[in-house]
Amino acid sequence: MKLDRREFLKNLGIGSLLLALAGQIYTWVRSLFPNVSYEGTRRVKLDEPDKIPDGVTFIDDIKTYIFREGKTFYAISAVCTHLGCTVKYVGLSKPKVVKIGGKEVEVKWEFHCPCHGSKFYGDGTNYAGPAPRPLDWVKVEVSPEDGKLVVDLGKKVSQNYKLTV
Amino acid sequence: MAEVKVNGKKLTKRSLFWTWAPRSEKEAGDSIVRNLLLHWFPAKVTLKSLSWGYSLWLGTITATLFLILTLTGVVLMFLYVPSVERAYQSVKDIEYVVSFGWFIRAMHRNSAHLMVAFVFLHMVRVFLTGAYKNGIGVGQNRPLNWIVGVILLLITLFLSFTGYLLPWDQLAFWAITVGTNIAKNAPIVGEWIRFVLLGGHEIEQNALIRFYVLHCFFLPAAVLILFSYHMWRIRKDGGLACVDNLVLSQKKEKVKDGMKSKTYSLLGLTAGRTVQVETSLIDEEKYTVNSVPFLIRRIGLVMLGTFVFVVLISLFIHAPLEEPANPNVTPNPAKAPWYFLWLQELVAITTIRIGGFVLNGALVGGILIPGILVILLAIWPYLDKSSNLSTGVWFSKERMRQNIVFLVLCFLVIVLIIIGTYMRGPNWEFYFPWEPWPQLPKKF
Amino acid sequence: MDKSKLKKDVTIVYAVALMGLIVTIIMYIGYFTPEWKKYQSEFKRYVSEKLGEEKAKAIEFGVKQIYVKELNRVDRCITCHMGYEWKGLENAPNPFKTHPKEILDKHPLQKYGCTICHGGQGYALNKEEAHGFIEHWEEPLLGKELEDIYRPPDRKVLLQMNCNICHRYDTLTPGADYINYAKKLVKEKGCRACHKINGRGGVIGPDLTYEGDKAPEQFDYSRIGGYKSVFAWHVAHFKNPKMVSPESIMPEMGFGSREAIALTLLTMSWKKVNLPPEYYPQSYTALADLPTPEEIEKERQMREGEGAFFVNKGCFVCHSISVFGIESAAKIGPDLSNALEDVQSRFGKTLENFIKEPTGTMSIVLGSQIMLTDSEKVQVVELLTKAYEKYRKQQLTSKH
Repeated sequence: MKLDRREFLKNLGIGSLLLALAGQIYTWVRSLFPNVSYEGTRRVKLDEPDKIPDGVTFIDDIKTYIFREGKTFYAISAVCTHLGCTVKYVGLSKPKVVKIGGKEVEVKWEFHCPCHGSKFYGDGTNYAGPAPRPLDWVKVEVSPEDGKLVVDLGKKVSQNYKLTV
Repeated sequence: MAEVKVNGKKLTKRSLFWTWAPRSEKEAGDSIVRNLLLHWFPAKVTLKSLSWGYSLWLGTITATLFLILTLTGVVLMFLYVPSVERAYQSVKDIEYVVSFGWFIRAMHRNSAHLMVAFVFLHMVRVFLTGAYKNGIGVGQNRPLNWIVGVILLLITLFLSFTGYLLPWDQLAFWAITVGTNIAKNAPIVGEWIRFVLLGGHEIEQNALIRFYVLHCFFLPAAVLILFSYHMWRIRKDGGLACVDNLVLSQKKEKVKDGMKSKTYSLLGLTAGRTVQVETSLIDEEKYTVNSVPFLIRRIGLVMLGTFVFVVLISLFIHAPLEEPANPNVTPNPAKAPWYFLWLQELVAITTIRIGGFVLNGALVGGILIPGILVILLAIWPYLDKSSNLSTGVWFSKERMRQNIVFLVLCFLVIVLIIIGTYMRGPNWEFYFPWEPWPQLPKKF
Repeated sequence: MDKSKLKKDVTIVYAVALMGLIVTIIMYIGYFTPEWKKYQSEFKRYVSEKLGEEKAKAIEFGVKQIYVKELNRVDRCITCHMGYEWKGLENAPNPFKTHPKEILDKHPLQKYGCTICHGGQGYALNKEEAHGFIEHWEEPLLGKELEDIYRPPDRKVLLQMNCNICHRYDTLTPGADYINYAKKLVKEKGCRACHKINGRGGVIGPDLTYEGDKAPEQFDYSRIGGYKSVFAWHVAHFKNPKMVSPESIMPEMGFGSREAIALTLLTMSWKKVNLPPEYYPQSYTALADLPTPEEIEKERQMREGEGAFFVNKGCFVCHSISVFGIESAAKIGPDLSNALEDVQSRFGKTLENFIKEPTGTMSIVLGSQIMLTDSEKVQVVELLTKAYEKYRKQQLTSKH
């Protein structure tokens, strides 16, 4: 009986020692996981749709190209799907016709990645280099409050999502 | 016991770790000698060295505090941004949104203050026991180790001082302003030292990054190197000074009883006429124990106790954070860190006017007096002519006079610090602790 | 010491370890039960009661913050004030109440955060420290707690101070009636005669362009009763400048507490703030704190006209000299147009003697604030004699 008690006290002592140390060390580890984010915005409000320039505009804050074709708007992310470099818009002097997904499409511009030579057609489809998939398309919407155009990185959309105002 | 044979050599658990319950003297010795973490300890220690009453374990406590400071400091380095624009904000974030951030910072701050206090107490203990004196061993150089200790004290102060600026609040900014302006009054080099330390004439981004690098890398590295040397010298000097004392008193006994011979010594080495030969005169059966487990366990206990104490007080004593630093507005009163407050107090009372000649208090109180004190402190072992019978003895009669002078000086410093900390209010006016300070104005 | 004592170390190690465990557990209890978690679960309960289970489910727990990069501000108020943009909680108790929508439409939270208007400490995550009524935080919540101390005649006016951080150069800011009133007073009372405001004005009084940046330590509270604060100092000073700082030549304008508080809010809003240009209002009133052509003309006449001497010396702060076209804002002293005979009747000595040996208030003013050389004193008499001649002429013509 006496031995049991001694055994119990020993276990209690060693147990509390290990638990207390584990608890203290955990505070150091836990403190390195941030609870709040200071990262930049994922949602950018632009001007009214009719004040957006025709053609292509690059929005620095969210690394996205926004396109206007008359009353139609769409946006393609400039982040290369390979390793995240920012792809460059390259206007073609002569439009070319390529086959994308079995359909023949006329392409007036391309995106080239400066890092590892990935190349994308105007709609973001990858055709050369290491990029594993097409560039992401980004949601474009009209703000219900003031009618301005909003580009929202948080909302993924399928390729060829276009907004007509 | 699990045994694995590798290339014919026995690899046991014991050769990888160490045993808490050695079954023989050899095993006990192996636990120390063959262990990286413990190899700098002796295999056997005297009971006197292990006792609470002789060393008070102040050095171990200090080293533990330094370990806590290193660990929490590394965590804080991940969270703190050393830039004038972001520093204050990042400290606010540590206080409010980082999980346990306030606690880690409180531990760091409290350990820092405690470390300054314990380095000082350790020094007082060494002085009062005459432990900076050589005893009977050959090759001892305790005075040198004392000087290393004094340098460690100065570095500890400077470490704490450089850390003081980092939160970039009013407390930090003005404490460093007052502190560095005291340095400015050093003759000839003062102005230059301040300029190099701050990287300019003002406390700005340059000063912040310099203090940061000094605080996080340069000074801790210096402490680590000097600490290693400090410990190594203790071994070279034959352990704590109380061992010499023990040997001396044993010698008399043994001459009576006849010498006992031993096959091993404290180090396991007996070649040459070294310290160890002399110390092996000790009756080991009676006065020593194996380091494993007794020394190691007690070190572990002191470390654990120190750690738990720091954790406990950090729950109640939080690290302060005042308004963001504002070079245009001096808070009233502006105080240096507490361990420099005795200097600030001296500075305030030692401006000497003889006719038209004014001797600035910052020079007398801030440079001359502490400078002389530190130099005296460093060379004292060479001035202390007492015999080696007073080595490693508390309050030896032979050293009574110097002990009293030393204690009086320590007492004066402590009194000045207490006055500076608790009894100086706005405009550096004197207030008794029970007197309320005048209400400080707020914006709203 | 003997060896048996050393064996007791084991027990002590266990005891200390147990203590360590207890302390660690206490710490973790605190970690798992912060104040804001209480508010968040209360909010969830409130929403499920008022708006249904479905809506309550959408509430996510955790620390929330608004980070405004442009202003380098971070506000965590919404961690507890969770209902700020919910519909249907307009009448909920604080901290769950919906924020009035109109003002948020013009000042989106993502661009402004909370504390730039409301004050308080955005970093903090507990009520006391977030509302900022603590040591070492100088921007408390501009709300009910402060209004209970300073008792402005109207409620919810204190935070108008912060409107003026961006709306500084407006003449009229919709919704900020105290600030608007104060700006009107600045024009009417001619503060710029003595003070520089927004970089424009006189040099008799201190430059007020960045008055709001002055720290509490920079004021003298020895003649202020009660609570010592910059705000209280300004209010008392506007009501009675001489009582607060006896050396001041600033005239007493007879302000009541509405005027004094409005002006205090205005002066304290004059801070040096780095604002990106888009934060200044893009209306026709932007950068409107410019003098009108009439004001410029009048000022020119005063400074260059016959009475220029009195304007430059600062006499016009208290005295009008109507015949020279000088109009004092404060009108504390008598019009100096007929000083020549007025001095005789008031003090029983000639103007010349009075200037040399003034009595009463003027002895203080001429002794400490407006120091005149002997030749200037002669000039004063000459000019005022000329003014009197003009005055007589006017009197005669008006009689006919």
